[in-house]
Amino acid sequence: MTAPFILMGLLALILINVPIAVAICAVALIGMVAASGELGLYNAALTLFDGATSFPLIAIPLFILAGALMNTGGISRRLIAFVSALIGFARGGLSMVNVGVSLFFAEISGSAVADVAAIGSVLIPAMKERRYKPAFAAAVTSSSASLAIIIPPSIPMILYGAMADTSIVQLFVAGVIPGLLGGFAMLCLCYWFARRYNLPREEAFSLPRLGKAAREAFWALLLPVIILGGIFGGIVTATEGAGLAVVAALIIGGLIYRELKLKELYGALIEGVTQTSVVMLLVATSAVLGLHLTEIELPQNLARAITEATDNKYVVLILLNILLLVMGMFLHGAAAIILVVPIVLPLIHAVGIDPVHFGIILTLNLAIGQQTPPVASVLVTACSIAKTDIWTTTRTNLPFIAVLAVMVLLVTYVPAIPMTLVEIFYR
Amino acid sequence: MMSLAGRVLHRILEVVTIGLLVLLALLVVAAVTFRYGLNSSLPWYDEVASVLLAWITYYGAALAALRRGHLGFSGLVLSLPLLPRKLLFILAELIVYAVFISMAWAGWVVLGVMAGETLVSLDWIPLQFTQSVVPIGCMLFVLAQLLSTPEAWARNLAGYDAEAEEIEAEIAKAESAIAEREAGR
Repeated sequence: MTAPFILMGLLALILINVPIAVAICAVALIGMVAASGELGLYNAALTLFDGATSFPLIAIPLFILAGALMNTGGISRRLIAFVSALIGFARGGLSMVNVGVSLFFAEISGSAVADVAAIGSVLIPAMKERRYKPAFAAAVTSSSASLAIIIPPSIPMILYGAMADTSIVQLFVAGVIPGLLGGFAMLCLCYWFARRYNLPREEAFSLPRLGKAAREAFWALLLPVIILGGIFGGIVTATEGAGLAVVAALIIGGLIYRELKLKELYGALIEGVTQTSVVMLLVATSAVLGLHLTEIELPQNLARAITEATDNKYVVLILLNILLLVMGMFLHGAAAIILVVPIVLPLIHAVGIDPVHFGIILTLNLAIGQQTPPVASVLVTACSIAKTDIWTTTRTNLPFIAVLAVMVLLVTYVPAIPMTLVEIFYR
Repeated sequence: MMSLAGRVLHRILEVVTIGLLVLLALLVVAAVTFRYGLNSSLPWYDEVASVLLAWITYYGAALAALRRGHLGFSGLVLSLPLLPRKLLFILAELIVYAVFISMAWAGWVVLGVMAGETLVSLDWIPLQFTQSVVPIGCMLFVLAQLLSTPEAWARNLAGYDAEAEEIEAEIAKAESAIAEREAGR
């Protein structure tokens, strides 16, 4: 079956609200049956199993499990207290605390919605009490949580790494500098808003208070050090690091802080395992479509067609940025990654773009997508907590989206920003 | 409110998927411990862990179907007038059934071909056992889709989707947690 028919069919099914995983499988099945009859169905059933057995993806449910343990084990709350003692004294301090906390742990649990609910439900009411505008509180919470998806550990990066057969560790390392730069830019933006609207300071800086908060949060702060240290140091793989994160979160929340409540944990686990399966079913069905697309050589032909028109890496990157932005606006991150990566991968190799570099570009574009309606679950969650509407928030959110957009441009056209650490340590 | 059958299936799938997840976590931790603590590796670890992931995928996918949690784009359908909205809902449901029933059947046929084959690293585990998850998972998906249809139909008529409900639920949960903590102070 011809490629345009497949793409149009897929689009049509998605538009009439067939779940994306099912839509992918449906067009693949039609194509495979048309090409090889009944045999196509058997191949598809085999691939449905094989597609779900991707070893690197085991890290996803484990990080989600660790995130659930952190959120229910009192770890998140201590991180918030520590960050407030650290930077809460500045003008507009609470908004900066919000950015800082998000960068620490958002996106670990795999459900950005659950994380924004966890952070936002503590910080947004506190901000409103201190006379921050609800729209501003929602915008800061939402966009800083999205920026956090490029800071390791990051579920979208694991997914991309597995789909593109690229080192997840290198992706994690490449995300560090862009993540910190973006975080710093957002802190500056918060300060600018604070000056302009005369936002309050929290308590004055006090070393004893910081010391106390740091002692209480010591184990919580140790958690990322253990996990990322182990992964970056090459002691454990990303999957095993995720396993260690589970054990560490269990020990810290259950034995040291003693706040782990089984009932809450069970609820968080069901959420987490459902999220995992939603992503994994997409991965499995996209393996079926991938098999068929490879048979009809669609990705290869696309790469050839585009490289015949231009082999300028930067022009291709502009095209990819536009494609990713549009996909991110209308689809959830995981679905966008699964649909785009297999199709553009040969193109990326053909024009000589480093797949690690592209992974960071892709993830940042999707971060913007989480902030732009119509499909923007992170933004919607933050708005509902702040009890404000999406459009007012989006107006306040524009400067924050601009920060993300500048980050996309910087990361795209100055590859040294994401790639320097990777070059130094891994190549 | 979900039917009794729906709630029973929900509970069964919950227990199965969480059990598999805990098993997977234990396995990964055990593998690291063996490698660094005891200096010997578990040769079957990669293969078994991958199979566990596939099992989580399909039992969990049925659970997600029961909650109508699979990712989709409802924006266009929900903005249409009532009649096309109803018709497209029915069409989309039928497509889901067609895909999973055909995959359950094909998965079943494939199992027959695998008679006598086993995992590479553990030759006492037949492939028929590990791959059974495809036909079983697909049938469970169909069942879950059926049982959740009445609720999804009602939501479709009212013009909102399962994601809006999920967001409401997350916020309610977070707010009750705060209220509890403040009451405890």
